[in-house]
Amino acid sequence: MSGALQDVVVIETTREFYASLAGALLGDFGATVIRVVDISDARTVDHGRDGMHPPERWNSLDELAHRNKQSLAVNLAEPAGREILEKLVAGADVFLTDAPSATLDNEGCDYESLCALKPDIVLTRASGFGPKGPDRDLPAYDELAAARTGVMPTLPQPGQPPVYTGVGQMHTAVMLALGTMIALHHREECGEGQVVDASLFGGNMYSQSLDMQAYLAIRDDRFLEPLSRLDSGNPMSGPMYPSSDGRWVTLAMPDTDKYWPAFAEIMGLDVTDPRFDSHEKRCGESRLEMMQVLDERFRTRPGSHWKQALDEKQLPADVIEKYDYPAADSNAEANRYILNLEHPTHGAVQSLGFPIHMSESPARLRRMAPCVGQHTAEILQERLGYADARIQELEAEGILGAEPLA
Amino acid sequence: MKQALEGIRVLDLSQWLQGPVCAQYLADFGAEVIHVERPKGGDGARGVRSIKALAIGDWNQYFLVINRNKKSLAVDLKKPEGQELFYELVRKSDVFLSNFQRQNLDAWGLTWEKLRDINPRLIFATNSGYGHAREINRPSYDINVQALTGLMTRQGEPGEPPIYLGMGSGDTYGGLMSALGIMLALHERRRTGRGQFLDASLYGAQLFMAAPTLQPFLASANSLYSEQQARSQAGNPLWNRYQVKDKWVFLCLEDTDENWAALCESFERPELASDVRFDSAAKRTEHNAELVAVLDSILQEQDSEEWIGRCRSSGIPAAPIQNLKDVSGDAQAWENDYLLKVHCGEVNREVDVRGLPITLSKTPGRVESLGPELGQDTELILMDLLEMEWDRISELKEQGVIP
Repeated sequence: MSGALQDVVVIETTREFYASLAGALLGDFGATVIRVVDISDARTVDHGRDGMHPPERWNSLDELAHRNKQSLAVNLAEPAGREILEKLVAGADVFLTDAPSATLDNEGCDYESLCALKPDIVLTRASGFGPKGPDRDLPAYDELAAARTGVMPTLPQPGQPPVYTGVGQMHTAVMLALGTMIALHHREECGEGQVVDASLFGGNMYSQSLDMQAYLAIRDDRFLEPLSRLDSGNPMSGPMYPSSDGRWVTLAMPDTDKYWPAFAEIMGLDVTDPRFDSHEKRCGESRLEMMQVLDERFRTRPGSHWKQALDEKQLPADVIEKYDYPAADSNAEANRYILNLEHPTHGAVQSLGFPIHMSESPARLRRMAPCVGQHTAEILQERLGYADARIQELEAEGILGAEPLA
Repeated sequence: MKQALEGIRVLDLSQWLQGPVCAQYLADFGAEVIHVERPKGGDGARGVRSIKALAIGDWNQYFLVINRNKKSLAVDLKKPEGQELFYELVRKSDVFLSNFQRQNLDAWGLTWEKLRDINPRLIFATNSGYGHAREINRPSYDINVQALTGLMTRQGEPGEPPIYLGMGSGDTYGGLMSALGIMLALHERRRTGRGQFLDASLYGAQLFMAAPTLQPFLASANSLYSEQQARSQAGNPLWNRYQVKDKWVFLCLEDTDENWAALCESFERPELASDVRFDSAAKRTEHNAELVAVLDSILQEQDSEEWIGRCRSSGIPAAPIQNLKDVSGDAQAWENDYLLKVHCGEVNREVDVRGLPITLSKTPGRVESLGPELGQDTELILMDLLEMEWDRISELKEQGVIP
């Protein structure tokens, strides 16, 4: 079994989680991904900066973002260090970064400079707000992009604070990987590289594309405000109802005619009740009354009762779970969406796996996330042909190392 | 200008959202995408009449935008002649994409084994609901799969209902994953000459989408990641949402004493910087409810333009929390083609649509047409691609294989 990208070399200088994740997606499918860490730059990204990610026994976000990568630590402020980066680029297919454009210019990693080293390079840039426009250089945090994109006020119940979900950046991560693959495809066909950009702003916009598109087309202010949970066009599709023990049930039965007989039976309602005996009545004149009735009924029994009853009838409806559900779900494990691993230092751990199944070139966990500089000597020897003596010289001169220089 | 995926042909046998949006990404970059539909009614999304209990308006933006840049071919796959016709298309295509349930594909004779025998170079891509490894035949709507992941339960304030992340939010993510899988398979095929089977499921995509909190939960089982967190209990109150006079703003400041002093300076409350309740990061976390209340009362005094202006001039990262109306007029979105104006034949005028979130400098995506009419390209495809005579096409029409 080969990796689909076994012939692809990616040089990566990302800092933020989402951008690093794009590199991991390529590495999962066999690409050689070399993270170049500049030891002359002491700035690090702290996942705990938002106050929502306290220190853990192991840094699981870094583990996910840097798996299947090699790490090379080098002082890019020194010519001999810079030369190493240039030689790596000359043998690479993709340069992946989330550095601001000004930084890329200063570091000689702008597209023109990279092209001078490798004429058909694909430069993939993770940005905050896209390559053009007045705000292209604004600070790039997922939260700031999410705030701009209009979804946050629509998510909660009326009167509640706007909601930040954190999933917008996950769209951007896949867009970066997808854009890179499309650019590589074009390069194979025509021999030219190019610049790929996907932004947190774009990713967040597209994480809610149907709501956004509906507003663009209909321009109704109803799309700007939160909707109450009991303000749905269809009592059997979309609303959520609380059970007696505080768990919530969600229904997804847009075609109510098809499901009404079985559903009415579960709910202890008369299938011939004249208030609810047609789709038109259920979603029209009796809509609000039906939601009130269902709300009362669902409150009479615990979540486990509803889960079993809905399961038995194979209805598209669910009791809403917590993260402990996928963590223990054998189907998530069977599909390798969640991996049970033996970590060299931490023993048995769980980690997210691979969302794409491929029969001939599946994703593989070839190596856990590296320590900073773990592969420096190896890469210099094997990829660039440096002699041992030269490597030791560079180490002595402070050009290589694993620790940022103070 | 050449497009990146010119010459790639995709049979898009999918409906509603996840499959169609996957093929939309490929079509935007120049692939020839044939949306294959049943002759009666076609793709279910053509029947959408309302969105969030509101009439959809005079054009069906749900269907037309997702299926832009595509052709439409209508064929009855229940008929053996329809299946034969489909096999002929498979012979001449690079990618087969479907989000129908497996039992439908089996019934139509469209299994991976069968299509692989017809065309060994074919990439056979499915969007299952719950993954390929198990036979799970429950219907998979975006919201009920999202309910399983646990992602909804951790959103919003404690005691509030769980929150669904937005119409089709998981489907569109699954579509992106699927498009990435197809590009990976095309790359592999260049080396091996063979296609493969791939599946990007709704469940798998949504679990990955939850990574920022699900991954640390898997590592720590800490309920911080799985349960709702109150705004007033922010671990870092300087990285939080605040209501100002006219709307909300998001403040994103790392919690250092230096940053706290800069914030107090910017908000013209220098005395707060030395307030003993808040004079270290640990204390700011410990007294977070108090601090959030203090900042709430300060921020209520001015509108967002004033606060954001002050933050920008002090180098404090902050943004107004916009609504969809704001973003629809946001120059940054238009300049990057994240929003576009396109002619819509259905209403014969220019309409605003979601544009191109992935920017390629030399082979940019394009929107040349909105979604096709049902079956509009059927005869042309049979004549041009399959080189069929008109007699044969008439025969297929008489048999009801094509409309």
